[in-house]
Amino acid sequence: MVWADWLVSTVSRALAFGVPLLWGTLGEISAERSGVINLGVEGMMILGAFTAFAVAFQTGSPGLGLLAAAGVGGVAALFHAFLSVTLRANQYVSGLALSIFGLGLAGLLGRGWEGKPLAATLPSLALPGLSRIPVVGPMLFQNQTVLTYIGIVLAFLLWLLLFRTRWGVAIRSVGESPATADALGINVTLVRYLCVVFGGLLAGVGGGYLSVAYRPAWTEGMTAGMGWIVIALTIFAAWDPLQAIWGALFFGALYHLSYRLQAFLAPELLKLMPYLFAVVVLALSGFGGARWRRRAPGALGVPYVRGER
Amino acid sequence: MRRLGPFVLEPRLSPSRAAVLGVSLGAVVFALLLAAAVFYGYGRNPWQAYAQIGRGVFGSWPSFSEVLRRAIPLILCGVGLTLAFRAQFWNIGAEGQLLAGAVAATGVALFLPVPEGWRLPLMFLCGFLAGGLWAVIPALLRVKLAVNDVISTLMLNYVMAYIVEWLVHGPWKGPTMRGFAYTDRFPLTAQLGWLPGTRVHWVTLALGVVLALGVAFLLARTRLGYEIRVAGQNPEAARYAGINFTAVFALVMLLSGGLAGLAGVGEVAGIHRMLRSPSHISMGYGYTAIIVAWLARGNPLVAVFTALFFGLLFAAGDHMRIALGLPFQIVGVFQGLIFFCLIGFEILLSWRVGLARKGRAWSGQIGS
Amino acid sequence: MKRILAVVLAVVALGTVAVAATKIKAGFIYVGPIGDYGWTYAHDMARRIVDAKYDWLETVYVESVPEGEVETYIDLLVRQGCNVIFTTSFGFMDGTLAAAQRYPDVIFAHCSGFKRWANMATYMADFYQVYYLNGLMAGALTKTGKIGYVAAFPIPEVKRHINAFTIGVREVNPTAEVHVRWIYEWYNPAAAKEATEALIAEGCDVFAFTEDSPTVVQVAAERGLPSFGHYSPMYVFAPDYVVSGQLVHWEKIYEDFLLKVYNGVYTTRNLAHVDYWWLLAQGAVEVGADFGMVINPKWEPFFKEYVIAHPVFGRISVYDLVYIRLNQMADPGVTFDPFQGPVYDRKGNLRVPEGMWLSYDSLITMEWAAAGIVGPWPGEP
Repeated sequence: MVWADWLVSTVSRALAFGVPLLWGTLGEISAERSGVINLGVEGMMILGAFTAFAVAFQTGSPGLGLLAAAGVGGVAALFHAFLSVTLRANQYVSGLALSIFGLGLAGLLGRGWEGKPLAATLPSLALPGLSRIPVVGPMLFQNQTVLTYIGIVLAFLLWLLLFRTRWGVAIRSVGESPATADALGINVTLVRYLCVVFGGLLAGVGGGYLSVAYRPAWTEGMTAGMGWIVIALTIFAAWDPLQAIWGALFFGALYHLSYRLQAFLAPELLKLMPYLFAVVVLALSGFGGARWRRRAPGALGVPYVRGER
Repeated sequence: MRRLGPFVLEPRLSPSRAAVLGVSLGAVVFALLLAAAVFYGYGRNPWQAYAQIGRGVFGSWPSFSEVLRRAIPLILCGVGLTLAFRAQFWNIGAEGQLLAGAVAATGVALFLPVPEGWRLPLMFLCGFLAGGLWAVIPALLRVKLAVNDVISTLMLNYVMAYIVEWLVHGPWKGPTMRGFAYTDRFPLTAQLGWLPGTRVHWVTLALGVVLALGVAFLLARTRLGYEIRVAGQNPEAARYAGINFTAVFALVMLLSGGLAGLAGVGEVAGIHRMLRSPSHISMGYGYTAIIVAWLARGNPLVAVFTALFFGLLFAAGDHMRIALGLPFQIVGVFQGLIFFCLIGFEILLSWRVGLARKGRAWSGQIGS
Repeated sequence: MKRILAVVLAVVALGTVAVAATKIKAGFIYVGPIGDYGWTYAHDMARRIVDAKYDWLETVYVESVPEGEVETYIDLLVRQGCNVIFTTSFGFMDGTLAAAQRYPDVIFAHCSGFKRWANMATYMADFYQVYYLNGLMAGALTKTGKIGYVAAFPIPEVKRHINAFTIGVREVNPTAEVHVRWIYEWYNPAAAKEATEALIAEGCDVFAFTEDSPTVVQVAAERGLPSFGHYSPMYVFAPDYVVSGQLVHWEKIYEDFLLKVYNGVYTTRNLAHVDYWWLLAQGAVEVGADFGMVINPKWEPFFKEYVIAHPVFGRISVYDLVYIRLNQMADPGVTFDPFQGPVYDRKGNLRVPEGMWLSYDSLITMEWAAAGIVGPWPGEP
């Protein structure tokens, strides 16, 4: 059954490669839903990757490493929030600067850490029973770490939060029309701070996954552009956490297939697909059909000043 | 009136030129102080370090010429971006437009059978068109389909980078390069000359300055310039006045991307003399140019000077690595700090800051 | 081996007491970060070893230099007082040549290129013999008959290595296949990981690679599959599964070159024909999972018990075969080469006639794919 082999390996790899994308994207959705775009994902992820590795190496605990990565990602995001929410600085420039700064800082701190083997890596789970099911077992329940499943659960929780709770209404209204939200008594500043910092926590974990689970070692620049795929995926997923799951799977599958299909298609042309899809999807949504409707939060990228509109 | 810690803020409607200059310089000085702390952390005396960098950059004409060379792509991209920003079009895509220009120039240099005297002019023309057309895509997407300009221009950068990768690994891989991923070297008639003793491809530099003047004239003195400004500042009024948005935005982006495309032509014809991996063609010039244009407040003539300032930063980065022996990542940290300070200080332009007197009533929440 | 070289060096040093430079300041220009744990890391290790050894030598380096910027950095290094400059990427070739012409009083050496000048030499430490030895072991190790190779760029250097590896594989296991995936990057852990996973999905059970990180070794070990390290010692990343690998000693070349400059053998006028092409016999490369560990001791019994019928040596264990071939190539006389005819490419063309060895030029321009290679092969003649 050749097709089953292909299906199993593609889905399984898409899941594993999709984990950092999913975590990063959920974080970016959180920030962008509140109206703050954070182009600093690449910087937050690489800082998370280094922190997770260094802490796991010193303490012997990958869990502690990931927690620390979340913390560092959160602090980096806090910085972005301070600049873009409190100081009302240009969010695009602030995010780009965060990416440049994060890559530089992680590289600086990481000097001398390369070439060290990590004994304490995040283990792959073989879920008892489930992993034995033919086809489905190896496809979904083998060679995955706990972060795969937490990420998916988190996507559901974030979806519930955004679309089924009063908090979600508050977040979305801050992202759509902060003036209206403000008039309704919602603390725009607080909501934006929380959403951006939460996004940083998740991006930090996404980066940490790379260095303690996906490929346990530290090397300079190891995120290799994943933060930018996250930006594309956020759009592709239409700022919807559930669609982010499928999006991460799809982009993960594309990446994996660029190596399996190498004999038939130049890998560069498959690798540019995520970015192209992001634009195409936005363009399709412009035709207005509800089926393709994907609209960015109304106030995305616009600092809020009370009294202005 | 708002309070921010011990300060009170009063809105400032239109900051004076002096205020803009003062605040920008203040931001740079603040960033230099922060960077001094980093130097100190590395066991270097910050003041000696700055003196050494200064001597390195300004010490001789050949080393100062590096500032000019680095500024060339920044001037072209930056001037183009001021035009887009004046129309309130967030063109984050100069990097991809620069690469599009480099691709077109390479095509003309290596594959187009034309009289040799025509080759360089044609490279500039095609590079302009390629960069411009690549930029018209997001313009049309925004006007016709309401696609967010920041996102579309950013994404198209990556699409173009992978196209360049594909070209140099695939169809355009040079037979004389022993299988390495480069195109062949350009013929001599497709190479730009340097100012003696430097690597400044002066044709592109002159082009940048002339075009900066041209764009300034366009914005200030022509009907199109007026339409661009109105479309940017007051879309409602522009619609009322019957301005054709599609035409204005398409034209703005054709020019904006075209200028970035010219920068790409300059880099391949003046520096590399071949097409190679995109990360080696542009040192993120297209992204730095965003700050160049933003710092120039949309004024193309000022952009020439802000571009020179960032050219200086690039050159200073080289000296930090060699003369001070600091790790290369310090350049990224340094750049990030300067960017942060520049945008962080921006608040001082929209708000006049004073010290809060004790007992004054709390008058508003921070930032809300 | 090391002792022989030391003697050779000593003789050279004694023989040329001529005009010795008082002090050498050598600048190194790297294309990647020294933290890549691969190509640049290895060059920098070598720099530090040589620097520590001679007090007449001072070294400086710059890392992560974009290829188009090499001339700028050469200018800065020359202004800093460097009188010898090493540039370590093929893409630096034209810039280095231009600088050599501009600074006739400075000695240049460019790694992996083919353009030389009166004051510009070239040098390379090549792995093809080592890959061949690894191939012998891989041929014995595979159970599925499919060996995975994660490759960086389809350039002659990498193609030569895959071919030598495949020739080794087929010498032990004439029906085995080597499946190749290109990642089009020298350094990208995620790409290397997914390429390895793609090969695992195709049924490969032994791995070799060209990429500057221990990724392939780690991924294979997660699945309990053996692999061969590349460039830096990768034994520590999977002590149970790294069987052997390719290791480099750039310091041998740097030491030899700098000593000859110091002793006045190399000047700014006589380098136009100086081209280091150093292999096992010169000690510039080494086969092993770690320095001094040719075969991981955990795997030695396996190779000792794995006996094949060899066309030349008759019944022989793979362990013995590896050592015989190693000694034949490491011996200063060099009595064996992996590309020893007859060698056919995978399209059936005879590439090396019976009894012949390939010339240096054929080696460094190699584009064909040896019989046994499966997968895309850009530029295949």
